[in-house]
This record gives sequence, structure tokens and C-alpha cells, in this order.
Amino acid sequence: MKSEEKSPSLIKRVLEQVRNGRVKMRPKSYFILRTILVVLIVCLVALFVLYLVSFIVFNLRTSGVWFLPKFGFGAMGVFFRSLPWLLIVIALVLIIVLEVFVKRFPFAYRRPILYSVLGIILLAFLGSFLIAKTPFHPELFWRAREGRLPMMGGFYGGLGLPKLADVHQGIVIGITDEGFSIETPRGELLTVVATSTDIQENDRVVVLGKRDDNRVEAFDVRKVDDEFDIFQRRPHRPMPWSR
Amino acid sequence: MVQAGKIESFGILVKRYQAKMLRYARRFLFNYHDIEDLVQEVFIKAYTNIQSFDASKKFSAWLYRIAHNEFINAIKKKGKEPMPFFDLDILLPRLASKDEADKKTNQREICQMIEQCLDKLDFKYREPLILYYFEELTYREIADVLRIPVPTVGVRLKRAKKSIKSFCQKLGYRYEK
Repeated sequence: MKSEEKSPSLIKRVLEQVRNGRVKMRPKSYFILRTILVVLIVCLVALFVLYLVSFIVFNLRTSGVWFLPKFGFGAMGVFFRSLPWLLIVIALVLIIVLEVFVKRFPFAYRRPILYSVLGIILLAFLGSFLIAKTPFHPELFWRAREGRLPMMGGFYGGLGLPKLADVHQGIVIGITDEGFSIETPRGELLTVVATSTDIQENDRVVVLGKRDDNRVEAFDVRKVDDEFDIFQRRPHRPMPWSR
Repeated sequence: MVQAGKIESFGILVKRYQAKMLRYARRFLFNYHDIEDLVQEVFIKAYTNIQSFDASKKFSAWLYRIAHNEFINAIKKKGKEPMPFFDLDILLPRLASKDEADKKTNQREICQMIEQCLDKLDFKYREPLILYYFEELTYREIADVLRIPVPTVGVRLKRAKKSIKSFCQKLGYRYEK
């Protein structure tokens, strides 16, 4: 057989390379460090995905876009236009990166990709909604507003508090002849032209309508009742590290 | 012993597996003149990375994984066969094929047929066929070598056998199963 004729030379060639030191055995510590590095990358990317998805939820709630599905089918166009697509795309790219790293492990590659991708997305959403229940993002947001958040301040002031053309969330601070006035989380005062009669002072509302300077012609207004309150800082619920 | 640095023990391993590796390479790679060099590279990589081998597992499956990577790189370098960027087979869940149970009863006839038509098959189907029928790896071991889901191994084998059947019929061979 051809393979058997050539085989002695193959062994000889391989062992020769080993003996003359051209081929060296990698130490066990190299593989241990490599595994630790992969696990660390997986953990870091997973934590960043959690942070980012929970930040997207925070962004949607501060902008009022979170409440748009309550306005019905007509508001879905505005809803999709107002989504923070840049953050969503970054989160999706990170989920793909996480999947690439997770796929190195037998528990992931022995099953169809759909399972691990769905698992990652499910964990990201569950973790993010849990984070959204804590004062983590509101605390950072307020620190940014007070100028006590170096580096991340611009992130919370810009992406954390988007200025949208069609959706406006705020607290009603006064009733006027043509509607009412609201104060937004950015601290702006907007005059809303609306026919709704059941709006009262201190109501939290989301207004759907085009903004022209500080005036909004509302075509729909909804009161929202959410435990998430970005309008007021809660000093009685500080973050663990500031206790 | 190899992990402890005994070069002679590695020589015994090379002697034990070289015929298998050469056979696997010859079946997997057609029209390649440097098969011996590729197999030599497989053993050199095995020696370099031997400390990553888990001694509680099968050495042959670990070696086939290195060989698979080496051969796929060779195919990519030479560009003789198209490499899919993404394979839909590994995306969705599928039912595992029952073929594993039929293996023993039909193996000899199937191996003869496969041998005749192997070069006509796409490498995506050729490789699981070689690993299953000629190298006698289980579905799980093949999944570990190719890093694909276990049910996908069954699906690829089933499709491979279907293609082999049609090639064999065209060539005038009789294919029973």
C-alpha cells in the first residue's frame, strides 16, 4: 500500500522536527490562559450587552417611545421611526460577537445555532428588564445632569435623552386655553395644543405631534402611569456604591 | 506520556494513526499532491497542542479535529472547491436521522458504493460520510470534529447517501439501501 510505503519517512520527518527543536510543545498554561481569556471576553461582552439593552429600554422610557404601542396601530410608524436604531444595531452586533465566542464551547455547537442565539437574546432581555427595575440608569442619568459623571456624561445627556420630532413626554405643569404645558425630562417647557379635557396638572403624559420650536400640535395625547420616574431624583434610593 | 514530554511516545502515536490520517486525507482531498505534507502538518500541530488534549477523551476524535482544520485550510488555500460562508443546516433544529441503527447491517455494501462515487460529492457531505462509514466515528464525535450540531450530522449523512445513490445509479452500480 502506498501509505505504508511512505509511512516510515513520515514518522521520521515529524520526529526530526520535534527533536531539532523546530517544533515546540505549547505549555498547559498557554491553553489555560487562552480559555480564561475566552471566558473573560464572553463575560465582558455579555455584561456590555446587558448594559446596552437596559440602556435602550431606559432610552425608550425617557423619550416616551416605550408607550407608543398604547396609541394603537396608527402610531406604529412613529414608533419604528423613533427607535434608537444605532444602539439596536450595536446590541445586535455584540450578540453576534457573543454567539461567535459561545460557539467555541461544546454545549453550544452541538445544538443548532438558533438555540444559542435565542438563549443569548432571552438572557439579554431578562437581565435588561431586571436592570431596568433598578435605579442604575436613572442614577447615572442624574449624575450626568449634575455634571458628576465624567466620560459617560455626554452619553446619558445625548443618547440617554433623545430629542424626537414626533414624540414628547413630560409632566403637565399648567392648563392653557388651547391645551396645556409640559416640562420634559430635558427640562424644556413645551406648549401643547390639544383638545383633551381630562388632562390635569402633574399628570404624566406622552404627546404625539410635530414640534415647531416649543409648540406641539398634538394629534394624540395619553396619560401614562409608570413606576419609572425620571422626572424626579430619588435620594432615598441611592446606588449601592454611594451608600 | 507524550504530554510529559516523551518524544518516543509521540512517535508511537504517529505510527498508530498515520495510516488512518493518510487514508482520511486521500478520501477527503482529491487531486491534491501534497497529502503527505498535510498529514505531517497535522501531526506537528498535534504535538504543538498536545497539552490541550483532555486525556479522558478519545485521542482519535481530537486528531480528526486537527486534520479537519488542516484539510479545510488546504481547500481554502487552493480554492479548488467552493466554501459556503454560512450553512443553513446548522441554524435550525432538525430531527436526528435513524441511520445510526442501520449502520452495521449495510456497512460493507454502502462503503463499497461510497468509495466509487466519493469524489462526486460536495466536501460538506463527503466528510461526515468518510468519518462515519470509514473512520467509524459516532454522530457525537463527528459533531465535535466538524463543530456542527449532532442532528445536522444525521441530516448530512442522509443527504450524502441520497446523492451517492443517484451517482451510483448513473454509473451503473447497484445501490440497495
